[in-house]
Amino acid sequence: MKNFFFKIYMLAFMVLVVFFMVIIWKVTFAHILHEYHERHKSQEIAKFKEEQEQKVEKTKFEKVILESEERVKHYLGYRILEEVRIKGHFHHIGFDIGPDKRSYCIKCHGDMPHDAVKELRAFLNMHAFFVACETCHIKLEGPQKTGVFKWYDRTTGEIVASPVKKGSPGSFKAKIIPFEKHNGAIQRVDSDDKISFALEYRENERKLSEAQKSKAKKLIHKIVNKQPYLCEDCHQKERPLLPLEDIGYPKERIDSIISTEVVGMIKNYTKFYMPKMLQPGEEAKKQ
Amino acid sequence: MILTRAQKIFPVIFLSLLIFISYPLQTSSLAADIGNCLLCHKYPGLSRIDEEGQMRLFFINESIFNNSVHAKVKCEGCHTDITEIPHKPAIKVDCLVECHIVEPSTETKFSHKDVASFIKTSVHGKVDSAGNEKKFVQDYPDCKDCHDNPLYRPLSFFKKVRPGISEASLGRCRVCHKKDDFIYQFYNHVTTRLHKSRNPLNIAEMCARCHDDSALVARHGLSTKAVFSYGETFHGKAATFLDERVPDCLDCHVNKGESVHQMLSHKDPLSSIHEKNKGKVCATIDCHPSASPKLANYGVHSEFNLNQSPAQYFFTFFFIVLTGGTLLPLMGIIFLDLVRRFFPHATIGRRK
Repeated sequence: MKNFFFKIYMLAFMVLVVFFMVIIWKVTFAHILHEYHERHKSQEIAKFKEEQEQKVEKTKFEKVILESEERVKHYLGYRILEEVRIKGHFHHIGFDIGPDKRSYCIKCHGDMPHDAVKELRAFLNMHAFFVACETCHIKLEGPQKTGVFKWYDRTTGEIVASPVKKGSPGSFKAKIIPFEKHNGAIQRVDSDDKISFALEYRENERKLSEAQKSKAKKLIHKIVNKQPYLCEDCHQKERPLLPLEDIGYPKERIDSIISTEVVGMIKNYTKFYMPKMLQPGEEAKKQ
Repeated sequence: MILTRAQKIFPVIFLSLLIFISYPLQTSSLAADIGNCLLCHKYPGLSRIDEEGQMRLFFINESIFNNSVHAKVKCEGCHTDITEIPHKPAIKVDCLVECHIVEPSTETKFSHKDVASFIKTSVHGKVDSAGNEKKFVQDYPDCKDCHDNPLYRPLSFFKKVRPGISEASLGRCRVCHKKDDFIYQFYNHVTTRLHKSRNPLNIAEMCARCHDDSALVARHGLSTKAVFSYGETFHGKAATFLDERVPDCLDCHVNKGESVHQMLSHKDPLSSIHEKNKGKVCATIDCHPSASPKLANYGVHSEFNLNQSPAQYFFTFFFIVLTGGTLLPLMGIIFLDLVRRFFPHATIGRRK
């Protein structure tokens, strides 16, 4: 037993010695090597030989804001404001909301998916921040329809209590998802089976033939309607699509959502920009 | 109980008066949003991808905006092309535009035009003295490269100097001034201007975005990664601990009493860091008043770099080799000794 503990002690000591050797290497000879390489790199840049073109990737809200590593702390003396920094952005952002880990739609379509209708795309993306894609793009009819909508946590994906009363408008850590009737039971439309199928397709996409890809895409999008719900379907007094009271909206917020101010704005926008409001994306397709 | 006519009218008059009094208070706190822009722009997700594939975020955080120096400027004061709702995609804001605020000393409309003229003649200007565009002009800063919406950093001086607002001082303001909104704005504006509007660390971080960019430093033939080398000094270390008293970049590189936008090259005889002037930099009344001009002669931006500071380089090199050359073999011997203790009977090959 004594021998065993002696061996453990020796082993720990050896690890410690190696650890110190690495540190000493880093602050001494590695430092010299680093300086040498940096100096040569600078000289090359100065000669303009090292102009590398960076591949421009499609920007994602998630990458730029929600998971951005470029953060800044404003030391105001009486408080510290920490936020994400976007290069060239003047106004402060000041909110911290994690990315939507549950949605399988955004894995392919991105988290700012609306760009077909130029004048409305920002509004639609704004709603996509707290409304799941399925809420507008799936029209449940007949026995499938439940009229039940709930909130799910963006990070864990679990159904949570309504965050509306706690958060400021539109900046919730949750999203609204519809529920459907399946084999007599009520379940969320983004079921685990659907998610795993879509994710499996994404992983194996390269290996599939065109016919297989087409078939898989059809299956994934089977429940998606070509004609999504429109602004007026929720922003109306009579029979709004979303049961606002049931999903936790207080009366004053409901009044605001269906107010003349908002509804009038929608009408103005659709009248001003969208004479063909019922065919979103049609003009883009023609082009 | 029978009420007289006066008693019946009194509640109506009282309520009317209450509404009349409270109405300006309600609207004044949202003075900048007269156009009700926040109806849409209060939503964090209001965003889209622009034609260049870059994200555009249109969200305005109201509570932070109301604590900024632009809190009293109406949205359309800067976004001048937006005159109606619905509006078309807004054009880029021109920071030199005349906004609706009147500058009280001259009673003219406020504008940042002077800043543009300062920048033009400074080291950060995009044209040289002959009026020609400088090389690598895209590297020179625009307003938003250094500035986001500046936030208030109020100070209290009532009993002692500390960050924040003094409620006791506000009480004195209220004796003469009746609108709290005005009092807060004025207090914040004045006390923020009585000290650095940004913490030294924030200033250094801002400058570092360009001046620590290896490629930019190399392109412009600058002698140092300025903020990195500042960070190696005592001042830089103290700045990282949020000390507000230590000098940041602007304290040395701008002549006292001038705008920070009037920064000049060290080769310019009018520059605060010109060879003939830099002796005075340290000896200001706020820093080291009795310091000799020689104090400023040390290598503020020396780096461990053979090209930039050969003497410091070889001096440091010697000590690095001495340290590494002593400790690494020592550690190696200790390690081998431990291996022997761990495997006391192990041999390589046949024991003779």
